[in-house]
Amino acid sequence: MDLCNDPLPKNCCGNLVGRKLILVSGVSRLMCESESFKMDLILDVNMQIYPVELGDKFRMVLATTLKEDGTPDDGEYNPTDLGPSRADSFEYVMYGKVYRIEGDETGPDSSRLAAYVSYGGLLMRLQGDANNLHGFEVDSYVYLLIKKLAF
Amino acid sequence: MQIKSPSKMVKEHFRESDVAKKISNVTFGLLNAHQMEQLSHLQVVSKNLYTQDGCRKPVQYGVLDHKMGTSEKDNSCETCGKGLADCIGHYGYIDLELPCFHIGYFRTIITILQMICKNCSCVLLRPEDRKIFLDSVKKPLTYLQRKVLKKKIYEKCRKVSHCPECSMYNGMVKKCGLLKIIHDKYKQKSAKIENPVITEFMGSFENAVEHNKDIESLLSKTQEVLHPIKVQTLFERISDEDIPLLLMSSEISRPEDLILKRILVPPICIRPSVVSDLKAGTNEDDITMKLTEIVFLNDVIQKHKATGAKMSMFVEDWDFLQLQPKKSTRGFVQRLKGKQGRFRGNLSGKRVDYSGRTVISPDPNMRIDQVAVPIHVAKILTYPEKVNKANIKLLRKLIKNGCDVHPGANFIQQREQNIKRFLRYGNREKIAKELKFGDVVERHMIDGDVILFNRQPSLHKLSIQAFYSKSNIITPRNGEPLIAAIQDFITGGYLVTQKDVFFDRARACQLISSMLSDRERNMRIDLPPPAIIKPCKLWTGKQIFSVLLRPNKDSPVRANLRTKVIVIHNSDLLCGSMDKGTLGSGSKNNIFYVILRDYGEEYAASALSRLARLCPAYLNVTPGTGLIKAKNELLDDGYAKCDGYIRDLEEGRLQTQPGCDEEETLEAIILKELSVIRDHAGSFINISQMIACVGQQAISAKDPAARGFVENSFYSGLTPTEFFFHTMGGREGLVDTAVKTAETGYMQRRLVKSLEDLCSHYDLTVRSSTNDIVQFVYGGDSLDPACMEGKDQPVDFKRILDHVRANTWSSCRKEHPLSGPELLSIVEQQLSEEGFSGCSDDFKNDLRILELQINMTFHQLERLTNTQVEQFMSCCYNKYKRAQIEPGTAVGAICAQSIGEPGTQMTLKTFHFAGVASMNITQGVPRIKEIINASKNISTPIITAELQINNDAEFARVVKGRIERTTLGEVSEYLEEVFIPDDCFILVKLDQDRINLLKLEVNVDSIKESICAAKLRVKPQHVKVHSNSVLTVHPFETAKSSMYYVLQTLKKELPDVMIKGIPSMIKKEIVISTRASSNNICEVEKTLGIEAARTTIMNEIIYTMVNHGMSIDVRHVMLLADLMTFKGEVLGITRFGLAKMKESVLMLASFEKTADHLFEAAYHGQKDTINDRDSTPKRRKLVFDEIDFHMPSA
Repeated sequence: MDLCNDPLPKNCCGNLVGRKLILVSGVSRLMCESESFKMDLILDVNMQIYPVELGDKFRMVLATTLKEDGTPDDGEYNPTDLGPSRADSFEYVMYGKVYRIEGDETGPDSSRLAAYVSYGGLLMRLQGDANNLHGFEVDSYVYLLIKKLAF
Repeated sequence: MQIKSPSKMVKEHFRESDVAKKISNVTFGLLNAHQMEQLSHLQVVSKNLYTQDGCRKPVQYGVLDHKMGTSEKDNSCETCGKGLADCIGHYGYIDLELPCFHIGYFRTIITILQMICKNCSCVLLRPEDRKIFLDSVKKPLTYLQRKVLKKKIYEKCRKVSHCPECSMYNGMVKKCGLLKIIHDKYKQKSAKIENPVITEFMGSFENAVEHNKDIESLLSKTQEVLHPIKVQTLFERISDEDIPLLLMSSEISRPEDLILKRILVPPICIRPSVVSDLKAGTNEDDITMKLTEIVFLNDVIQKHKATGAKMSMFVEDWDFLQLQPKKSTRGFVQRLKGKQGRFRGNLSGKRVDYSGRTVISPDPNMRIDQVAVPIHVAKILTYPEKVNKANIKLLRKLIKNGCDVHPGANFIQQREQNIKRFLRYGNREKIAKELKFGDVVERHMIDGDVILFNRQPSLHKLSIQAFYSKSNIITPRNGEPLIAAIQDFITGGYLVTQKDVFFDRARACQLISSMLSDRERNMRIDLPPPAIIKPCKLWTGKQIFSVLLRPNKDSPVRANLRTKVIVIHNSDLLCGSMDKGTLGSGSKNNIFYVILRDYGEEYAASALSRLARLCPAYLNVTPGTGLIKAKNELLDDGYAKCDGYIRDLEEGRLQTQPGCDEEETLEAIILKELSVIRDHAGSFINISQMIACVGQQAISAKDPAARGFVENSFYSGLTPTEFFFHTMGGREGLVDTAVKTAETGYMQRRLVKSLEDLCSHYDLTVRSSTNDIVQFVYGGDSLDPACMEGKDQPVDFKRILDHVRANTWSSCRKEHPLSGPELLSIVEQQLSEEGFSGCSDDFKNDLRILELQINMTFHQLERLTNTQVEQFMSCCYNKYKRAQIEPGTAVGAICAQSIGEPGTQMTLKTFHFAGVASMNITQGVPRIKEIINASKNISTPIITAELQINNDAEFARVVKGRIERTTLGEVSEYLEEVFIPDDCFILVKLDQDRINLLKLEVNVDSIKESICAAKLRVKPQHVKVHSNSVLTVHPFETAKSSMYYVLQTLKKELPDVMIKGIPSMIKKEIVISTRASSNNICEVEKTLGIEAARTTIMNEIIYTMVNHGMSIDVRHVMLLADLMTFKGEVLGITRFGLAKMKESVLMLASFEKTADHLFEAAYHGQKDTINDRDSTPKRRKLVFDEIDFHMPSA
């Protein structure tokens, strides 16, 4: 399920298993597992505007730009930009910054990496094989797009 | 043809109006009669002040003669003809009919009399001593050495009783009554050896004794009175070559000058005569009155001399002249000494114009480098501005506004004239029109002016700050930020950065615009894209906070900070909430501190003021509490623990702590536990007191039954008992604050006085004003404490490395990451380059160690490239270079402030449990005082010794048994009185088990010795040893009491007999003597030497400060310790210590004992070079009297 020529075609279907931690009223930390890429995901989500239930399945895409044509993002907020956007087909979209990439010390497999992204304080950790996390770079900005899947 | 006068705009040759004369030194000395006459303009002889004709004319040759100057506006001086403002006054003199002692030199006179023969006036030294001392006196000596030498010679002279020249007997010279000196020369040393001189003298009274029996008993007490005339003749006969032995300088003064034959009459301007309009007559100064009295007494004596009055009347007059019946008058000494005296009140500090007194009130709408001034004040505080092309238009307008409209001006001084014109009167329009370049306008204070503001008490240099210019955010005490967010701003910062804080676009923009001040009104703001874009656009609080740090993309601020809680990456707050540690003062993890160090004060101040505006705008909601539940859990838990301990005690399972019995142990544990309950909230103590529980009251009560734990909170209300305990704690605090202000104030003053003249020099040394070296290199590394980013280090390497990597991440992406060896070689190469040669080896080594550490945790992800290393190295280098102390920095003053100011914040009476629960160790201000006073007897002396075998509890107990005081009562099972038909005694049964348990090295025989050695007057035959553990003490009848009472006394005293304890020496094999240390500075100096004493001072001060949560840079403490020890002995920061470390008389006089120091300096003829703070102001103020006027008046 690739998304055009995006330099960051990370596309995993999450299945909400394990736990849902309520961090503060309104924000929960989701522990997710992917079905396809053997990846683990921890993600903070604002429950008030986007409720997620235990067992929900969703599709998640990470991209460096929201432009349909893939032109790079300039990092500036432009409220007047109403052109076609990749976000149109998703329900929940966040914007954040990669601030840390580190090796997975716990697992036996040293090729696994963990990428940490902060969406304005809502944190995400994506753990997986180094090949799948290839495009992540510290200090770069990413968009996170989520859409729930029907069973 | 007319010659044009040169244009006024041509530069005039600069000529100073009064050519100042620079004073190189001040010499103190004594004036002799001749010099006084030279100095004077007339001899004062008339006792009347004014002529009796009612026209208020001073009597000629009276004390108020206008030849000595004037004190009225309408009279001018008759000597120089100048008016009140210009005449500096002229001296007169009075000849005393009979010489008198000078009260200031009275002690000195006695000392000299003790040193010379009262017959032939030679110095009482044996020829060999005399030769040695004459040699040492000839060497060039400093003032301190002279003082010491004088004492030494005096001590030698005192011991010589027979004059080596004329072999006359010389006894003690003593003060007798008020201002009388006696010489005890007829004292028989012993009845056996008769002194022929004395026998002869006694013999001369035979006739008298015959007629009056009463004389005989008084005869042995005969003493010779040394009256001023006698003393004068003795002093005059002292030969010139002997004078150096008295440590006087013969070219300046001679001993006889110490006796007054003539006194100076000071100029009238220092003792003005105030004519009052309301009543007849004038108000005269105390000095004037005293002088008239002297003239009057002079007249009386003269009259008696002429008429040949009785001797007794004559002597009475003389005494009167000498003593001058005491009344509290404001004489010369009173004018000089004390806080309001000339030295401290007028020379070292003065009242000035253009200043005001301030009180603080906050206003979050101002930037932190701004201050608000009331318009009323702004109209009084003026600034003299020279007119030039750029400002003439503005100044014209200001002149037109005048004094009463705010942006106006008060005075104008035109360039040609020397008169100031007041702008309240006169034609301002005209003046404004005639305004020319070069005029000076004293305009009102306007926005943007720089003013100095002071906040009392002014304890450190940060108390006085320049507003709207440089902001002092950092304290030089330890380089931590002083200005930081507090209270609401921390709360606001904490709440806005919580995870669940979301704003829609309107609210986000509102908040961002609210944090912009006037000056930033037009600043471009880059609103970041929202963190949540769908389903609705929401910004988080952390994004707002990031905007606060870096409002737009042009801002260079890319700060990096990583603590346990938060991550700030290139000025983006990525995770964690800002809290006290990262916003508040007292920590170098403060985000504003990071901005300040990396980007400068301007950016830090702006960011801080943005926070100050954001927080009030955000804070509208008060948080709810789920705290009561947590409190109850905590309390229950704590109480359960305490109950457990009590149960343990009852069942005897409690492990005793050192130095305590079981009950004491329980008390200590429970107290600790209860305090934990209180302290659980940490620094949130205030809020926890309000909503949870007030907690344990710290009362130094002895009764364990009531320790005053207050379970309730202020919100839930206190029970009457709890309230009572709370008031006890409250009062203690109140008394404490009242006492400590005075205490620490004086400590601060002493510190400042002793350290004020120390400053760093170009050769890196720290020297005093007399160029004595106190430190060869300031702080050992000549770095400025205010520039320390790490702990006592100029650079926090780890943070800088993170910072450099974060900033250059994207630009260095394409570079090849370095391998471990490559990295090391680059660092080595850089370090060996020219630039780093200026850095200390310590610094370089720290850098190397850091690189080694990085090397260990190296892999592809944590990549480090060549450019990054280079940037890092140059960044560290720059920071190091910037941190070097500037030559000329007043390091002493900063040191004094850095130690004194935290002292005022310490609670005075704090005792602290340190290790040994049974002992309270002096802490806080009392301890600091002990240290800087270099007290000989400190209240809790401690020797810390390391045991040779340090892992054996048994061994430790043996040592403890040897040291600890043990009494007989503690080791005996029982002491019983036993009465049997033919004897009675006290039976002592020793508790062998206990002796073994405590590892006491005692047995019956040693105990017998102890009993005999104790002051009970028990002799060995009275003590009988019966077995290993039984001995009897038999009473004995004495003259004073019967056997029964002795028995009873013994029974009472025996249990307290000390059988083992400290008087016995600890043998060397028990402890490692090379690792023993003490907290008694004087003791350390005696046994280990001055360097050890210095280290002890440093350690003790740091230890005390750290215990109170104050951190002080080690360099400050080092300087203080060096000052206290640099003379080779430990000198306290007291008037005694100070007198031994400072050469300058003016400096000592401005501290304490003003008059004493001045008199002593005059005696020695001390030359004071002018180079320290206390002498400098005097240099500027001195006006020279014209020597031409000093013609002896006819």
